[in-house]
Amino acid sequence: MDQIKEIFVRKDLCMGCHSCELACAVAHSASKNIYEAMGEHPMPKSRVYVETVSASVPVPILCRHCEDAPCMHACIAGAIHRTADQAVVTDADKCIGCWTCVMVCPYGVIGRHLEARKAYRCDRCQDRDQPACVSACPTKALVYQTVTDFSKDLRRKAAEELSRGEGR
Amino acid sequence: MAANQTYVIIGASAAGLSAACAIVKTEPEAKVTVLSEETDSPYFRPMIPFIISGEKSPADVAMTGQGPYQAKGIDLRLNTRVVSLDTHSNQVKTKSGDTVLFDRLLIASGSSPYIPRDIEGTGIKGVYALRTLAQARDAAQRSSSARHAILLGGGLLNLKAAFALLEKKVAVTLVVYSPEILSQLMEPDDAVMIRQALEHAGLKIMTGRSAKTIVQGPNGVKAVILDNGVDIPCDMVFIGKGVRPCVDFLKSSDMEIDQGVVVDPYTRTSRENIFAAGDVAVTFDPVTGNRVVTGLWTNAAEMGLCAGKNMAGDPTAYAGTFGVMNATQVAGLPFVSMGQVHPGSGDYEVHRNVSGNAYRKLVFSKEGKHLVGLVMVGDITHAGLYRYIMREQRDIRRVKEKIIGQTLTSAHLMYG
Repeated sequence: MDQIKEIFVRKDLCMGCHSCELACAVAHSASKNIYEAMGEHPMPKSRVYVETVSASVPVPILCRHCEDAPCMHACIAGAIHRTADQAVVTDADKCIGCWTCVMVCPYGVIGRHLEARKAYRCDRCQDRDQPACVSACPTKALVYQTVTDFSKDLRRKAAEELSRGEGR
Repeated sequence: MAANQTYVIIGASAAGLSAACAIVKTEPEAKVTVLSEETDSPYFRPMIPFIISGEKSPADVAMTGQGPYQAKGIDLRLNTRVVSLDTHSNQVKTKSGDTVLFDRLLIASGSSPYIPRDIEGTGIKGVYALRTLAQARDAAQRSSSARHAILLGGGLLNLKAAFALLEKKVAVTLVVYSPEILSQLMEPDDAVMIRQALEHAGLKIMTGRSAKTIVQGPNGVKAVILDNGVDIPCDMVFIGKGVRPCVDFLKSSDMEIDQGVVVDPYTRTSRENIFAAGDVAVTFDPVTGNRVVTGLWTNAAEMGLCAGKNMAGDPTAYAGTFGVMNATQVAGLPFVSMGQVHPGSGDYEVHRNVSGNAYRKLVFSKEGKHLVGLVMVGDITHAGLYRYIMREQRDIRRVKEKIIGQTLTSAHLMYG
């Protein structure tokens, strides 16, 4: 089976510019245009959250599309399912805003439109080749790769650093 | 080891179908038979108030093929009520007299509404203890010409039913025996904001009162007489007093029953090939270790998933659940309640915080090392993160100020 691509975070490269959040909100707006998106109701929301661990350490947090996704099994409306490419997505038409998914998500990455009573979360931008947050990241702190490619890249970078350290 | 086993599951709701799907996923060749006493195909039970309001149709709430319930090849037998279990010959007997043989059995028979015996007239037409789609359809029809409904009990089911009835322009009076609504999920002070919102939305709420008699008229229920003698005319009555595990059919078996069916952390009963999950099962609170039975869809689905894996030979421990755990939104207010939410004057460190449209109560253990309970009203941001640290009993001293100040994120737990 072909490996699917996931969004990985290179925490060491994030500088906390929040470009990913902006791009995410625009990608999930009706107009897909930043100027028009600002006037939409409900206001388009980002599904990626750049949090800060301490004052100087930003960390982008987003849905992990967990294997036994607690939100998917918890949903009382059958609104959450896994797509063929393994993304866990919320069907807004079916969502009734009971927030059970919010109660069980250990990462705290499910957002809420309270008035519309609809939960929203990362869908890995189903209609794009590359998720908007990844495209927008200026430092490549967010990468869209398969697990194999991502770990291969990490190993290669570690090897380069090691060999530099040995003065070769 | 588990090849070519015959799996039988009693109950086709959250626990039963989660297990069935997990078995098929783990062992694609498995033969899985699910027995349901209902005549309707499986549906998302918590959605039935929307059938009353008309916001959803029965097709909208169908389970098969939705969310995680995508597995195919499960033999579902409707209208098949199990009346007894023989653990020696590994078979169950159905109401119609058939026997069904199993190698491995899951008891996921769920629960049924508790009907207080001291209320007279609970069998009258127009009195509902809402549990099934069939009842919801009936209630939907009756509500179309009803003017006033009296709801006995101040829990979540009745609140959801109340809003469904308000949608249908039926006036609603909630009669609650406890001093305040939602008494299972929070202390009276925690519920103030929600009660105000409910009353603002048009609900009439009477607390500290119970029903004594339901009075029959020519077209079913016509009034309720309260314990203070007051007689209130109505066309519908809803009894929302919680649920009890469905274990009657196990009385003659050797299953260990303590309210529900007792299981080990691997969802196995005292019999090696018999498992139980969902409302009918006795599980444990991960913090107190106490036995608990819950009536929550979410717990049932999670426990059923574990049971299915265990039955198919993939040992999976169930992490247990809090006796109290629920979330919803009523009258525009979202709220979450979980864990030890009734600290009373006990030995706990309790923080309460009101700000704008939000209320929060945090209950820490006496020595301040663990978060053990939580009520959030108005703002439920990161509720799942708190559930995680409560369930895993994380030492929270390092992040306690962030919990109290509501600035904790999962980044702190992963990289902090």
